[in-house]
Amino acid sequence: MKRPEAVHLLAGAAITAIAAALWPGAAGAGPPATAPVAGATTPAAEAVFPVTVASGDGSVTIPARPVRILCLSASATQMLYALGAGPQVVGVDEYSTWPANAPRTKFTGAETSAEDYLPLRPDLVIVAFRSGSVIQQLQKLDIPALLLAPATTFANVDSQLAELAAATGHRAAVSTVEATIKTDITAALDKAGNAGRGQTYYIEVDPTYYTATSKTFIGSEFSLFGMRDIADPAGRLSTYPQISAEYILKANPDYVFLADTVCCQQEPVSFARRPGFNALRAVRLRHVIGVNDSVASQWGPHTIETFVALLAGTLRP
Amino acid sequence: MTLTADPRTGNRPAPALLDFDDTGPPPLQPTRLPAVHVLVGAGFLLVAATVSILVGPAGLPAGAVLAEVVGRIPLVHLHSGLSATGVVVVWQFRMPRMVLGCLVGAMLAIAGASYQGAFSNPLADPYLLGVASGAGLGATLVVVGAPFIGQIPSGLLPVAAFAGAVLAVAATFALGRSRASERSAASLLLAGVAVAAFFTAVQTFLLQQSSPGQLTTVYSWILGGLATAGWSQVELVLPYVGVATLVLLACRRLLDVMSVGDEEAASVGVRAQRVRIVVIVAATLGTAAAVSVSGLIGFVGIIVPHTIRLLAGPSYRRILPLSVLFGAGFLVLADLLARTVLSPAEIPLGVVTAFLGAPFFLVVLRQARRVG
Repeated sequence: MKRPEAVHLLAGAAITAIAAALWPGAAGAGPPATAPVAGATTPAAEAVFPVTVASGDGSVTIPARPVRILCLSASATQMLYALGAGPQVVGVDEYSTWPANAPRTKFTGAETSAEDYLPLRPDLVIVAFRSGSVIQQLQKLDIPALLLAPATTFANVDSQLAELAAATGHRAAVSTVEATIKTDITAALDKAGNAGRGQTYYIEVDPTYYTATSKTFIGSEFSLFGMRDIADPAGRLSTYPQISAEYILKANPDYVFLADTVCCQQEPVSFARRPGFNALRAVRLRHVIGVNDSVASQWGPHTIETFVALLAGTLRP
Repeated sequence: MTLTADPRTGNRPAPALLDFDDTGPPPLQPTRLPAVHVLVGAGFLLVAATVSILVGPAGLPAGAVLAEVVGRIPLVHLHSGLSATGVVVVWQFRMPRMVLGCLVGAMLAIAGASYQGAFSNPLADPYLLGVASGAGLGATLVVVGAPFIGQIPSGLLPVAAFAGAVLAVAATFALGRSRASERSAASLLLAGVAVAAFFTAVQTFLLQQSSPGQLTTVYSWILGGLATAGWSQVELVLPYVGVATLVLLACRRLLDVMSVGDEEAASVGVRAQRVRIVVIVAATLGTAAAVSVSGLIGFVGIIVPHTIRLLAGPSYRRILPLSVLFGAGFLVLADLLARTVLSPAEIPLGVVTAFLGAPFFLVVLRQARRVG
């Protein structure tokens, strides 16, 4: 992770810790989320507890069916509700915006003390990244903590669904949820036809030209449509590299997606006004699309469904 | 305000002033800036600037780019053959980025050198009195405050960073001066440490409360860089950097006099505290403007002046003008590396300046010791 190291030189250690934890990609520093579900090898009887599931932090044993889940990952929240584990959830982080009725808290997942979570009396805590030693603290409190690092592929999504289902006692629902995702994707691909094939795109994560390569989860969503990421040549060291305006102009993408509409108030009009950008094909064809920032950093079923539908509605032959 | 030194004293090399009391009025020993130093500095800058215009991910033919640039000189008629996109790349991307690199590099270097002179402290850098922490807090406030204020004009971040930087130094100055009995450089430095710690604490608190998206924005600003450089940023900083540089250059003789100490300077009519105020105000305004568009680029203000000091001697009459030339060239070269090493990916400029600058500086330091 280059950027956290870099900021260490320039900013305080406190900023570094938070940034390293929250920066997209940096959070993926943990082991990939593709580890098999240990519980999946046992007979598929529902509610077999205790159950041991693979966590990004090793494996975690959940002694009984959790009924007070604290979910500090917006994508995992979407998965829990899709699986039918919603009634077991007592708290979600402030970025879990779907479903709207999820019990949102002020937590960000960047808390540094497990004590913060105790008033909710959780019996399972789900996190997307390590924040200080919170996971170890939770272990000392005998509260299982499940680390589901950011997915980078659809296979990651499937394995995280299976792990969450095993951990919450909803194994039977996995195939239904996966089928729904597949149906959504198939419908979107049918609608788009060949419109995306070979088309290039630039996804802007931040107006200083930080972007995402096809090796990220959002990149894999574009890949479904046969689209090509102009940032891939910049992805040797980071899947969220910074590129330059000059390179964007040279690559001249067919489509531009602005995933910095919330953080940085970017919009197609402001994008087109940047020096030299009125020459871009995407600007001339009005193929600059503002999207919610969260599409670049979330991998839940709802985000997937929304984004592939948006892509299908956007791509034109 | 007395800002003019005895011309004879002002012309002496700084170390010689150490024996001022023993030898009476100093003999005339001009420490003029040798023309060869200026030529080397200007050549270095010219080469750095030219290469940075020629190289970039668009892969334009170097000859055509040169023809495009030279062709703009009045009375020169050259047809570059560049496409419309190529012309945009040269004039909208590479040229403003190079010019902004020159301005920021020159400003950080001369500000660092001036601070070192004003405080007689070799560790002084342009961020000494709180510029960095103030600018960081200003930028953070805009980003974190965005959801509460609603739509924020995109140009507000540099303005807020500038205001924060100036405010922090003003606070340092007010606190450092409050002890009327001791308006020394040391009390200013300590006030600067306290103000920087306070501003950084507020910034860290705000960041800790912010969302990942906001953190990313502040973070990429802190890392520093010229990736989004355009003529608007050049227009924004040029007046500040221009005036600040001229003022600091005008103070170069006074800084030489002050290098022997405030009381000794006073004995030849230089009011050190007043010079210090002028230097601080100029260096602060210039640095604040520079960091507001470039983010926090470290080490330039330390490495460039010290390298020059080791190679060209301790006189500020040499260090300050050469800092402008070498600071500009150094930052343009560093930015060239930042955007070419992993091209088309960019590396934060602050990483490059430190990664290259620190070892280079250590080599120069060792060489100088050996020679000395």
